[in-house]
Amino acid sequence: MRRTQNGLGPRMRFDFALVASRLPEILQALGLTLMIWIVSLAAAALLGFLVAVGRRFGPRGLDHLLGAYVELFRGTPFLIQLFLLYFGGPYLGLSLDAIPAGVVGLSIYGAAYFSEIFRTGFEAVPRGHVEAGECVGLSRAQIVRRILLPEMTMLILPATVNMAIILLKETAVMSVITVPELTSTISAIGSEYYAFVESYSLLALCYWGLVELCGWLGRLAEARLSRYRFATS
Amino acid sequence: MTEHAIVVRRLSKRFGHTEVLHDIDLDIKQGEATCVIGPSGSGKSTLLRCLAFLEEANAGTIDVYGKPLGFSEDAAGRRARLDPASIRAVRSQIGMVFQQFNLWPHMTALGNVSEALKTVRGVPRAEAEERAMIQLRKIGLEDRAGHYPAQLSGGQQQRVAIARALALEPKIMLFDEATASLDPELTGEVLNVMRALAADGMTMVIVTHEIGFAASIGRRIVFLDKGRVLLAGTAQEVFGKPRNPRIDQFLDTYLDRGAAMLI
Amino acid sequence: MTFTLFGLLVQAALYTIVISGVSIVAGFFIGLCVSAAMLSANLAIAVPARLFVSFFRGVPLLVQLLLIYNLLPVLGLNVPSVVAAVVGLSLCTAAYQAENLRGGFAGVPRGLLEAADMAGLTPLQQLIRIRAPIAFRLTLPALTNEAILILKASSLVSVVGVVELTRMAQDLNTSLYKPLQLYAAAGVLYFLINRAVAAAGKCAERRMAWGRA
Repeated sequence: MRRTQNGLGPRMRFDFALVASRLPEILQALGLTLMIWIVSLAAAALLGFLVAVGRRFGPRGLDHLLGAYVELFRGTPFLIQLFLLYFGGPYLGLSLDAIPAGVVGLSIYGAAYFSEIFRTGFEAVPRGHVEAGECVGLSRAQIVRRILLPEMTMLILPATVNMAIILLKETAVMSVITVPELTSTISAIGSEYYAFVESYSLLALCYWGLVELCGWLGRLAEARLSRYRFATS
Repeated sequence: MTEHAIVVRRLSKRFGHTEVLHDIDLDIKQGEATCVIGPSGSGKSTLLRCLAFLEEANAGTIDVYGKPLGFSEDAAGRRARLDPASIRAVRSQIGMVFQQFNLWPHMTALGNVSEALKTVRGVPRAEAEERAMIQLRKIGLEDRAGHYPAQLSGGQQQRVAIARALALEPKIMLFDEATASLDPELTGEVLNVMRALAADGMTMVIVTHEIGFAASIGRRIVFLDKGRVLLAGTAQEVFGKPRNPRIDQFLDTYLDRGAAMLI
Repeated sequence: MTFTLFGLLVQAALYTIVISGVSIVAGFFIGLCVSAAMLSANLAIAVPARLFVSFFRGVPLLVQLLLIYNLLPVLGLNVPSVVAAVVGLSLCTAAYQAENLRGGFAGVPRGLLEAADMAGLTPLQQLIRIRAPIAFRLTLPALTNEAILILKASSLVSVVGVVELTRMAQDLNTSLYKPLQLYAAAGVLYFLINRAVAAAGKCAERRMAWGRA
């Protein structure tokens, strides 16, 4: 990363014409960021759910194995995980391009966290409700589908929204392995014009806006779903 | 000549739109135990908390040994809030025991009892702890001095709470349903401490559900119903027959709380 | 992996710990001030505090680091990269710690403060003798969690040129071409450090158990 004497380029004020001229590029990068985010979020949630189910309802050995995975991926930096996947992968026969590597990496990282969210969710549903299902004769799968999942959804919604926001912010880290998402694109533009402070400020504002929007949507969803609030005490 | 420790005039308190206390007039005599009883929602706890200035009344005055607590009212009925220092000064004569004990969890029993002496009264640590030990000995818990509240039973915690209040040598002790959170076997030890205090001549205002206890300890019984003083007098006057029908109704629901002995 | 290579990584790991440690502590005190500011009745103090928290929780740390790294020289502060990195990390964790502390202070039961009122403690005395110790104890799990998050997040300061654990692994990789071994080793070191911090946190929680089982 080159440091100039003065981070502000030839234009001291922030130039909107500049932004306008590069807008298509920026929007494309934004689109890529959002796509990576949505895909990784969905994959992480699904994978995390499977891990949680495997740990709770599967054999003991599986619980320990998956538990180790969760501990490992929550206990190490995402950047290191990306490096291992992108730079180390080829040595194991796994050659991924930057974007797929980013998506896979974020999904696996996110899944570790989601599995914990779901595990807490399972435990938060009152035991009595599950027992009632067993007494009535519902199978394991039916209990999960008809009792645990609906009740869980409301309980874990705040944590899930939180995790979604975390994953959105982590997409920025992918710029280090050359994924052409928002951070890397706007950084590059900034370097071109020596307008570092302006470009990073713009970048910060973009993410800030996205995160606030996401948070607002999350609160909306919580308010909507709370109509179906179950009495859990 | 007994003076009035607390004089309450025209006290009213509202929570939102709900009027909890209406125009209460009350005189608490020095050296007497006054028991405030009544059904749930009658405003007993609110009244007591107003006496401690933990709730601020919307109208009326409270005078403690002649000094106004919290608000002063002039002849025209305009209220003025007094400054925190004067509130603290008046409060320093009052000790309070809460239903939930409210012992500070990060301090031992000794720590709890000596805390105010050290921090507020500036008493040096060694002396404060000595005085605290004396209080703990009075309630029979000197061997628990080094224990944290989490290591004490409910009855022990409440007794420590009483000792904590007594350590500051208050002139008046307020008890807000002191035994309501205790298992039945543990209420006795706390009630005994309260009995001993009353026998010593402490001015006490006791809000309680223990009707038998109230009748036996209370020189004066105040029956509160829906935020008003329905009846105030000696135990004989309040509980003796012929009885006010509302009190009859109330006692019916309290038969197992020692009220049976009165029927 | 040779002994000296691993030794280099361990040294870099120590640097990571130092950087993270300083940031966490600085962040705690900044967070304390921000937390108090958020509760202020004076809007001129409360609003900027809330904006601060919103910004540092809403922007990715990487972007924050890049921004601060480039902004400081413009403001006339020509500091070494590691200082810019620590500033960035501290401000970021301060925002999260402010939220944690807010929760901690809100969790102090009201009754305890009423008892303190009756005992005659002034608001300041209550803050120091009652609210702070209890709030701290309530915040402890979140504090431990935050420490672990900062340790992991510190890997990003490699991007602004600070030679901590991640950067060391990267630099070694450019000459040795052993990404699997190097990054796996780095990962293991991070993992072990985090475990140690988690254990320390549990230990602290036990010390502050105050008689509870």
